[in-house]
Amino acid sequence: MLSEATAADRPGTALLDQEADASARAAEIEFGFGDPYDPDNPVGNARLLEADEAAEISAAGERVLDELKLNADFVPREFGGRLDRLDTLVRVMRQVFRRDVTLGLGYGATSFMAAVNVWTAGSEQQKRELAELLLAGGKASVAYHELAHGNDFVRNEFEAKPADGGGFLLDGGKQVINNADRAEALALFSRTSAAPGSRSHSVLLLRRDQLDPQRFKTLPRYTAVGVRGCHLSGLEFDDCPVPGSALVGELGQGVELALRSFQITRSAVPGMAIGTGDASLRTAVRFAVGRQLYRRSVMEIPHAKATLSAAFLDLLICDSMSLAGTRAVHLLPEETSVYASAVKYLVPKILSEAMYELSIVLGARFYVRDGEFGIFQKHVRDLPVLSLGHAGSAACQATIIPQLSRLAKRAWFAGEPAPAELFQPRAALGPVPFDRLTLASGRDGLSASLIAAVDELPSGSPVERALHGFALRMMDELRQMQEEALDLSPQDRTALASPASFALADRYTVLLAAASVLGVWREARGGADEFLADPSWAATALYRLARRLGQKLPDLPDSCAERVHEEVLRRFREHRSYDLYDSPLCA
Amino acid sequence: MSIETHDLSSASAGHTVESLTTWLVDRVAIYLQRDPAEIDPSEPLAEYGMDSVAALSLCGDVEEDFDLVLEPTVAWDYPTAAALAEHLAGELKAAGKS
Repeated sequence: MLSEATAADRPGTALLDQEADASARAAEIEFGFGDPYDPDNPVGNARLLEADEAAEISAAGERVLDELKLNADFVPREFGGRLDRLDTLVRVMRQVFRRDVTLGLGYGATSFMAAVNVWTAGSEQQKRELAELLLAGGKASVAYHELAHGNDFVRNEFEAKPADGGGFLLDGGKQVINNADRAEALALFSRTSAAPGSRSHSVLLLRRDQLDPQRFKTLPRYTAVGVRGCHLSGLEFDDCPVPGSALVGELGQGVELALRSFQITRSAVPGMAIGTGDASLRTAVRFAVGRQLYRRSVMEIPHAKATLSAAFLDLLICDSMSLAGTRAVHLLPEETSVYASAVKYLVPKILSEAMYELSIVLGARFYVRDGEFGIFQKHVRDLPVLSLGHAGSAACQATIIPQLSRLAKRAWFAGEPAPAELFQPRAALGPVPFDRLTLASGRDGLSASLIAAVDELPSGSPVERALHGFALRMMDELRQMQEEALDLSPQDRTALASPASFALADRYTVLLAAASVLGVWREARGGADEFLADPSWAATALYRLARRLGQKLPDLPDSCAERVHEEVLRRFREHRSYDLYDSPLCA
Repeated sequence: MSIETHDLSSASAGHTVESLTTWLVDRVAIYLQRDPAEIDPSEPLAEYGMDSVAALSLCGDVEEDFDLVLEPTVAWDYPTAAALAEHLAGELKAAGKS
């Protein structure tokens, strides 16, 4: 396993070794946590549940992640960290989210979300200082949210008033901010002009130890349904002076910077939670294999068996979309404003729905807060935070809505398909092009790849023919969406658009998921992973997505369900992950 | 297509700051469901409730009617109809479309 120092010492060979590094790092985190079922493991399920009951973040878990230097994964390699690729970051963080969403967010993702603002627009010095702070194990927190304004953050009131000598005076409050009480660095979204509109805010980066303790205070913690150990609190400032050097990027650039940073975090964070879905499916399979009902195991009951396979497919759908979304940041940075919002909207939604279906298989066990299956209810409570934090589902749809008619006119059925590398989980990529992200796009290589694929799909076997048929239906869907998008009235292209616009955005995200699945399968054909190369999973995944669009479909060949079921069992028995990577797990 | 009430006289050559201001005020009035007469070209559009989502849509309309690709931040940097019209006139001239 590569140490952080060795990897950083040889950036020239980094491209070649990306896959080896990424799989080694993911395994290092996974095995660093040890067996989740071992009652004596300080970071096993039993102890994580105790921490949750006590509304504490697991101290032992934080120590494990300190030792593994997880923060290095949030710092670009040029500043001494390990961050090369967003899909790799997702793959690594998934190991943490498989154990505990509270640790995933409370130790990790929050610092990353703060840091992205600095990697995107910070000065050289700000980048170096933040990198140093994170690499030393410090945390960064990011404060956009004000309760009064929700996702309408252009109306935020927290002020950074220009002060004598080029500095600012911070005044006002931020609420429900993860780690507000303990982060060493704070990225604050602040109003720097009283004028209405989108040029009146700026992002400031502060070190807690440089603030006058008389001039700010931490607000009491909020209690939440899930991630109960996360330190969700707030900050209140009273004309607290900060130097002008705290400004990240230009004055008035805050909204733009936020929208660029969101493209990175919205693409990346949902896919991390696939680990939580994996753990939940694994728990349900464990239950189904072990429990006897009607003189057979629950796994032999057709409904239970089908539900578990369906959850596995949902994880593969989510991972395909997450893969395309994160790799698009590298490969199609001009197009990611739409894809990032689509990922942030659809992936948590599919995951939450899958968890609900799994809870039916678990029956009453789903309601028990401790014991062998107790972790399940915790994951069920923790997961929805992904749909809430940072950007609500409706806010994500609102980012897509104004772009639909432009895409319908210019991009759909007209543009170039995405490059094949978009769909290759193990292929190397260049660094994150933070400066190339744009706020809106007129292109859509992801949907174009579905259209381009339709003519080239094989149709030798019944499963391939079924897959081809579903892809054709998706193409028809896009044509219908195009008509509807062209018909949207101006009012339906604003934040106050009718529910029909939101429904159209929803269907479009499903289409992007279908394009991702198809792309991943096509690239996996003939490859080393026999399951991913087999059309059974892709056909069944497209079937599920088409059903989500309300289509009535012919039945799939029976072999599809059997192939997927076998894989669910194999990965359970052999301790392999339920995602595109089929990676080794501890238990 | 029912979105665009294509006004060919404005989309063809000969744009002035004045004609562009009128076009913008009319368009914003449709977004906000107001009478164009209520919209003062020298007031920030955000004052009338023009949100960032609608501003992005407006840029799409400009692109469609004037064949001019705009950064979505243009509506932020030129926050009134008058300022935006002046900017558009300059851009159209630079692109040889006026």
